[in-house]
This record gives sequence, C-alpha cells and structure tokens, in this order.
Amino acid sequence: MSEKKNNIFSTLSSMPAAIWSSVFRNNLPYTDLGRSKTSFNNFFLHIHPVKVHRHTLKPWFTMGLGLISLFLFLILVVTGVLLMFYYVPSTAQAYDRMLDLRGSVAFGVFLRNMHRWSAHGMVAAVFLHMCRVFFTGSYKKPREFNWVIGVILFLLTLFLSFTGYLLPWDQLAFWAITVGTAIAGYAPVVGEQMRFLLLGDTTVGQEALLRFYVLHVAVLPVVMVVLIAIHFWRIRKDGGLSRPEEADIVEPAAVGTVLATPAPAMAMATAAGGINVIEKKNYGIQGLVRGPFAKVGNVPDNSVFSYPNLLLAELFVFILTVLGVLLVSAFFNAPLEEAVNVLHPPNPAKAPWYFLGLQEMVSYSAFWGGVGIPAIEVLVLLLVPYFDRGQKGVGKWFAKERLLANTLFLTFVVVNIVLIIIGTFFRGQNWEFVSPF
Amino acid sequence: MSEKHNAQEESSEPISRRKVLAWLTSMGIMGSAVVSVFSNLVFIKPRATYGQPTRFSIGTPDDYPPGTRIALGDQKVAIIREGSKMAAISITCTHLGCIVGVSETGFACPCHGSRFDQDGNVTGGPAPKPLPWYELSMAPNGELEVDKGKEVTAGKWFTV
Repeated sequence: MSEKKNNIFSTLSSMPAAIWSSVFRNNLPYTDLGRSKTSFNNFFLHIHPVKVHRHTLKPWFTMGLGLISLFLFLILVVTGVLLMFYYVPSTAQAYDRMLDLRGSVAFGVFLRNMHRWSAHGMVAAVFLHMCRVFFTGSYKKPREFNWVIGVILFLLTLFLSFTGYLLPWDQLAFWAITVGTAIAGYAPVVGEQMRFLLLGDTTVGQEALLRFYVLHVAVLPVVMVVLIAIHFWRIRKDGGLSRPEEADIVEPAAVGTVLATPAPAMAMATAAGGINVIEKKNYGIQGLVRGPFAKVGNVPDNSVFSYPNLLLAELFVFILTVLGVLLVSAFFNAPLEEAVNVLHPPNPAKAPWYFLGLQEMVSYSAFWGGVGIPAIEVLVLLLVPYFDRGQKGVGKWFAKERLLANTLFLTFVVVNIVLIIIGTFFRGQNWEFVSPF
Repeated sequence: MSEKHNAQEESSEPISRRKVLAWLTSMGIMGSAVVSVFSNLVFIKPRATYGQPTRFSIGTPDDYPPGTRIALGDQKVAIIREGSKMAAISITCTHLGCIVGVSETGFACPCHGSRFDQDGNVTGGPAPKPLPWYELSMAPNGELEVDKGKEVTAGKWFTV
C-alpha cells in the first residue's frame, strides 16, 4: 500500500480490510497476546476475563444454568419486543389480539410459544441455578452479596412472569391475577394499599391490565438488566466462579511449583513441605484474582484463555438453549383459554405452576400460605450467606463439610416441589384432592 | 487540608462551616429523594376508579320468584328469595376474591375450595369470614336497590 500512494484503486481495494480492522482492531488471534487483546478490545468480549480457571469450565460444576437463564432472558426480550408490535393493553382488544396472533400474524403463534415457554424455562433455570450455587457452597465470602442479588433476580423473574401472565386477558390470566393480588392484600398494614396500587382499582380490570403491561415491558425489564449487569460484574470482582482450593494447585510432579494458591492452602502446602511456593507475584489486569494473590505471565497455572475456551462453552450453551426453546415451541402451543368471564372462575382456578405451591399453602391458610411463610422463606434465602459463614466445602457439590446446610436447603427445595406437584396434579374441582392416575 | 488545620477544627471549631454545608446538602438531597418517591406513590394511586357503583337497582321483586338463588355477575351479588323474604349476599369469596358458585345448598369457591351454607356462613375451606349481606331496599318506583356500601348482619331479611 505504501508504494501506491493516493491511488483511488488501492484505497478502494484496501477499504474492506481497513474497515474490518477499525471495527475489530485486531485479526483473529493465533497467539496468547492476540487472545488477550481480542478479549480486551471487543466490547462484547471484554465482560469476560482474559483467562478463566479450568475448574470454571467443568460442565458438571455449573451445568451452564446461569448462562441458560441469561440466554432465556435474551430470547424473552427479543420475542417480547416483537410481540409488542401487535399487542394492545386494553380489555376490549387484548384477547382479540391473541387470536390475531393465531390467525393473521406470520409466526405469531410461534413467537408467543417461544415467549411463554422461555418464561417458564427461565423460572426453572434461575431456580436450578440458585440450587447449584447453594449446593456448591458458592455463596460464601466474598460472594455473599452476589447471592443476595441473585435472590432478588429470582423474585424479579417471578414478578415478570406474573405480570406477563395477565396480558392475554383470558380466563387463565384473569383468575390467576385475581387470586395472586388478593394474596398481596393479606399482607399486614400495607396489603390493601399495595393491592390497590398494583391494580389501580378494587378489582382486576382495565387499569390493572395497563399497569401490569407497563411493569412487564418497561419497569421490570430495566431493573432486571441493571441487576444482571451488577450480578455479572460482581462475579469478576469476586474472583470468578467459586472453586475448591485444591483446584488451584498445579500437579507438583509436573510443574514443581505452586502458584497463586490462596493463603490457607499455601500455608498448608508449605507446612507439608516439599513444595516450592512462589509468594511474590505481581498483580496484573489479566490475572485471575482470588484473594490477595494474582498471577500473570507465562507460568504454568490452572487457567486457560477465555478466547476461545470460555466462548465456545458459552456458544454451546446458547445453541442448546435456543434449540430447546425452538423445539418445545414447535411442538407445544402456549395455552389460551376462553375470553375473560368475570362471573365464572374456571374450576379449579389455578395460578401459574410456579405459584401452585403457594396456592396449595394458601388453601390451608391465606395469611400464612400466601404471605407469612413466603416472606420468611425469602428473608431466610436473602440472609443465607450471613447465617452460614463457614468457609469449608466451597466449590464442591454436596461437600461433606456442608451436610447440615445442604440437607436443610434440599428439604426446602423438595417441600416446595412437592407442594407444586400436589397443586398441579392432585387438585381438581373445588380444589379437592384427586388422583391424577 | 493540613494536619494543623484539622486539629484546630476539632478542638476550637467543633462544627465547621464546611460540615454544616455538607450536612445541609446531604439532607437536601435525601429529602428530595424521599419527596420524589412519595410523590411518585401519590401519582400512581388513582383518585378515581372505573368500577361498579356501590348502589344499584336490580329490578322489581317479581323478577325473582320465591325459591330464587341467582347470581348477578356485574354487581357480584347473589339475590336470594325464600317466600316473601329477600336478601343480597356477596359472591366474592372472602378468601382470595374468586367468584363463588351459587347452588341450592349454598356457595362453593372453585379457587381454593371454600364452602358456605345457604346463608353464607363458612362450612369448609380456608375462607376466614362469612359472605357479607348487603342492604336491600325498595325504591319509590317499585324497584329493589342493593347498597354494597352497607353491610347488614347475616339473617336480616328484607320482606317484600
């Protein structure tokens, strides 16, 4: 190029390459330096660390549940925005618009299916992600507050799903929201006020539909995105995903050195003798930080470059998630019942499946089932990392040291799932006990 | 700020102008935040609602022959007539606001299985209170009027 100055042809012929390199700044990397620069220079990649611990990439450690939740959220945003083009939040039109999706909108049913099944899937994925984090002890110091944000994200997921539930304005929607908001009314002191603010009226009607719509498409997604951003940012700041201490120890036989092990492990290793510990390592931006120790440079450790290792893992989970949603949406249609009839609740009137455990409890006592016990559960969940402060068994599934905590949490999970199963399959007309078999 | 100045500030000048200004500023900001949260709450609380009026006409007694137990959907009341006695009983379940079904033997809620006898007393399920009775009256034009703003004690029939 330097030989042919100011030649219009050479300018034109080199333009694609010039544009490409101005956008991506560097070529596809073939060296470690290139891999670092790729992660640094790309807006979408720089959320990743340059290097990631091998343990983080173990498929059976995380099962990709957090990523699945994120990807389902992205699918929900895309399909949700598309559905907004055809939806009107009015009691006179909403249900007809649902029928229009069936009859006169290209891919209408398919988009609605995708939105509905992703929403259900996201509730499940976020809950399972929470279980993974608990059973691997990953909420422990310094990740306590990220657990708290995670619990809030779970509640937001439920609330997003709940507000979306009303929008089709069919029988299912109307009665689920009637029951759900009546539960809110049982909260002491502020209950009735809260219900009135949420519905904008004393009963579920036009005002409620508009309010739920605004919450569903504007308020809650924005809050969700902000909290997701903080959630991810804190993962980096807390030193990546949790892992057991032994995961940081490079095989002494192979390397002869131990690098950047956390203080206790290092002390133990030194006490045991025979292992050479390099204590003075510099901090570096590329370093994978855990505790006060950072590692940088061309020394053997247990981390690999995020590009391509982490990206490929993420791509794999992404493809799997999209594939799952597409398959389910192709074979199962999202339910749509009759238009709202305020006089005839369907018998039995059931809330969305993830609230059927609540509804089951509510059938014993409205206050305790609908407000008291859920409030206690949420409070305990939020405070879990501040109750359970032992530092043992972090980064391992069902660690022996955490037998008590894991047993308690497993009980909580099983009880809730059993209640949901009873509410879903064992409750028939008038909420009477029936056998599904 | 120098060490010396700091020391002076602490001993002879416990409340400096800077501290007062900082305090006032932070109070102002926090106060504005509280006021704006409060005014947002005021904003989203509707002053007028679009629901049913509490007082409405239900037609003449002849529309309800003896033995009638009928639910009026829009108004969410059941009109009961036994002989010449009439009553208006709410059909909104006292439990979670579902509409109860009206039958010969009483009321049943499909949502959570609350059951009520013919007079609206709880006979089963989680409902915490009996179904309220509303005041029935005869308007000068011979039509019956229900006032959902006024509850009457259960068993207080209106004789036509």
